[in-house]
Amino acid sequence: MEQVPVILNINGREECLTIPPHKTLLEVLRNDLNLTGAKNGCEDGSCGTCTVLLDGSPVRSCLLLAVEVQGREITTIEGLSDGEKMHPVQQAFIDYGAVQCGYCSPGMILTAKAIVESAPSLTEAEVRKAIAGNLCRCTGYTKIVEAVLAVSSQKQATS
Amino acid sequence: MSEFSVVGKRVPRLDVLPRVLGEAKFSADLSLPGMLHAKVLRSPHAHARILNIDASRAERLPGVKAVVSGKDVLPYKWGVFAYTRDQQLIPKEKVRYFGEEVAAVAAVDEDTAFEALELIKVDYEPLPALFSPEESLREGAILIHDDKPGNVSVRIFVDEGDVDRALAESYLVQEDEFSSPEENYCMLEPYAVLANFDSTGLDIWCPNAGPHMKARPLSNAFGIPTSNVRVRKVHIGGHHGGRSEVSPADFIAALLSKKARRPVKLVYTREENMNCVRQVHAAKTWSRVGVDKEGKITALDMRVIMDGGAYASTGPIAASVAYLMIEEAYAMPNLRYEAIRAYTNKPPRGMYPHHPRTAYGGLEMQLDMLAEKLGMDPMELRLRNTVYEGYVTPTKTVITSCAEIETIKKAAEKAGWKEKYGKLPRGRGIGMACASVLSGFPMGIRGGSGAFVRFNEDGDATVISGVVDNGQGNDSMIATIAAEELGLPREAIKVVTADTSMTPADQGAYSQASTVISGGAVKAAAADAKRQLLEVAADLLEANKEDLIPKDGKIFIKGSPEKWVSMAKVARTALARDHQILGRGDRWPKGDSKREWVSNPRGQIASAFSFGTAVAEVEVDMETGRVKLLSMTAAHDCGYPINPLAVEQQIQRSALEAGPAGVMFEKHMWTDKGQNLNANFTDYWMPLATDVPNIDAIVVTSNDPYGPFGAKEGGLSISVAMVGAVANAIRNAIGVPVKEFPMTPDAILRAIEGNRESESRRGG
Repeated sequence: MEQVPVILNINGREECLTIPPHKTLLEVLRNDLNLTGAKNGCEDGSCGTCTVLLDGSPVRSCLLLAVEVQGREITTIEGLSDGEKMHPVQQAFIDYGAVQCGYCSPGMILTAKAIVESAPSLTEAEVRKAIAGNLCRCTGYTKIVEAVLAVSSQKQATS
Repeated sequence: MSEFSVVGKRVPRLDVLPRVLGEAKFSADLSLPGMLHAKVLRSPHAHARILNIDASRAERLPGVKAVVSGKDVLPYKWGVFAYTRDQQLIPKEKVRYFGEEVAAVAAVDEDTAFEALELIKVDYEPLPALFSPEESLREGAILIHDDKPGNVSVRIFVDEGDVDRALAESYLVQEDEFSSPEENYCMLEPYAVLANFDSTGLDIWCPNAGPHMKARPLSNAFGIPTSNVRVRKVHIGGHHGGRSEVSPADFIAALLSKKARRPVKLVYTREENMNCVRQVHAAKTWSRVGVDKEGKITALDMRVIMDGGAYASTGPIAASVAYLMIEEAYAMPNLRYEAIRAYTNKPPRGMYPHHPRTAYGGLEMQLDMLAEKLGMDPMELRLRNTVYEGYVTPTKTVITSCAEIETIKKAAEKAGWKEKYGKLPRGRGIGMACASVLSGFPMGIRGGSGAFVRFNEDGDATVISGVVDNGQGNDSMIATIAAEELGLPREAIKVVTADTSMTPADQGAYSQASTVISGGAVKAAAADAKRQLLEVAADLLEANKEDLIPKDGKIFIKGSPEKWVSMAKVARTALARDHQILGRGDRWPKGDSKREWVSNPRGQIASAFSFGTAVAEVEVDMETGRVKLLSMTAAHDCGYPINPLAVEQQIQRSALEAGPAGVMFEKHMWTDKGQNLNANFTDYWMPLATDVPNIDAIVVTSNDPYGPFGAKEGGLSISVAMVGAVANAIRNAIGVPVKEFPMTPDAILRAIEGNRESESRRGG
């Protein structure tokens, strides 16, 4: 099988790999880099469990080829905390009970981080619209929305 | 009950940190050295005899390490009950649904495994296929299982009191028929298995709702002792009723591993997860319910026809839950219920909290129609028909703790029922419904749970329990119970759970028994450890052990807060005296062991019952039939809550699954060859964040005499009640009941149109 060299910037580190050109970013993250926080929930872009940030914006890593995203900044859930201190969105997901089985959580948290950072303040409707591409079966979405709104208003209060 | 230090506190769960960090490993995230990847060849026919399988070309493909088919399996059939054993984990003689497992390949990578599938040649003799109970129950229909005459998988029949007479004497009788296609569980994690079969036995990681309940059938399928099957702890991405049984995927990965003598991982696609694990029954319900002048229910006569698909699965339970949840929620002196679960050539159907939605949603709409005819507020009608502590159901179950009335009142108050009911403009509607859920049911020798508690030399404790956490927070629940009993902070409890080689047997998490039974076992084990701890502490403090109080990691003398000793010191002293502090306990449901789903549906079914009331408000566009959910309010009586936050989570989860998913959106569609048309998230519409409002969760407290610290099941009643609430809200908005689920815009327009026609006929 044909292999191509790629350099990916993931969580602030350069990863040099040789991969078949048809590999998706999700496959490379999970199988080549052991970054299994991004999940494969549907493989057709409809569930959002594979969400990662590409230059700060949420994308479906199952719909992107790894070779397409060279030179871009990729953030996965593993890159969101430095091991000591969690991102406020992660902490809020714990505090507000926004996590049940946790399968949607990595993608949901990354989407939430992106929206919280993209706007000075958020309404419930804006949060719901932003996470509408991330499916969840276990929370009814209520506590997820509460967690994101809490981070957004904290941020507003401290800025 | 403020005497508790950790139980009852609304605090974050202990088990979620790895899930927000991305560290949590689900089955598909795991790998082992030398691991192979598997793919399954599936039937392209809904019903066909397997004449021959030639896998020789696949076996010769470089990179292929093992191929298995029905030829490799023992003559073992899986069934939840002895009388429902009907599923070979890879069929030998014939396939019974489109997509059923026929053969499987393990290879060095998925691509090779996939390529190998195309090289397996299977000769089929297609047979006539049956796609609905109407077809399969018809006289002379071809048999899907030779030993199941009439294609009847399960028949449940109860007839208590004198239903015919009571209905004849009723002031009003409401009779309707409701129908519903299949639903899907939609757990976000697609099924995945990692198996390693070697000379010591089978090691397996897979989603499950009870590891011990997987070990047994797997040991039977391989003819090895159950203790040689180790079902391991792993993160599980939801269960929702669809993962309570052994899956062919478990068996196939294990069989490939045994043959290849290497670890094998099998990861299902979304389509396989939606089609080939379990689905939710399609159903038709015919219901006749009577009331007297005061709105008291006199009798219910209900008949349910369920499309069970190819195998029995949890059929006897699935076909019974409707009458159980109804008779435990509403007092009625007379009840007749018949359910026929028919085999069809569709994927097998398992348990789901609100199925059949036609029964729960249907009856609730009927109660509202009766209330309307009586000129009575539907809330008032429900208040007049609640059960109560000491009430005996028609099938002879005694209700224990019960705060059903409080759930009605609190949900109504929060939702503004009195201000809204009857006062909303056309196109707006509000609806209410109630439900009850049993905490556990009789499961014979496998119905109990055991636990150990080990004190460590640092003064913290490890709880060892067979309970499984599918995402609902069972690990956090048992840690909280142990912490309370031992007088330790929650963080000082480590849990070891859901590993069949290490943890005592447990009944599993699918009968809503985890808190009452598994939690009860943990409390008993902690009490045993505490007794041992206090004996040593009494010595150290020169006090009577009856006067000692363990709290915050210390042991105090009652009345003398300055006199205490740390638990670490007590644990170390015990060790110095050649004694390890090890507590043990077990807990069993208090059901009547003679009660049986089919043969004897009479007697005490469970040790505790939870209750809930849901209220929903909707706006319906009368031109397009589109429904907008304006509010959902749900109050659930969970006994004494171990952690109110976790109960709220379960209430909100249930509300989503029942209301928007169960009433408004979800259904499977099929080709005329039995192929599932929407086994994916693009064409099967599950509710998005934008489809639902904030869900108001109200935790109603009662004190159950049998549950640990008064607790019982935490939230499932709403997964039934919200079906009726949304259905009634839509009915209230448009003025007529929609009798087909889901209530999609076209179904709603059909109902409005049908009503217009009948009105004009009446008028004209």
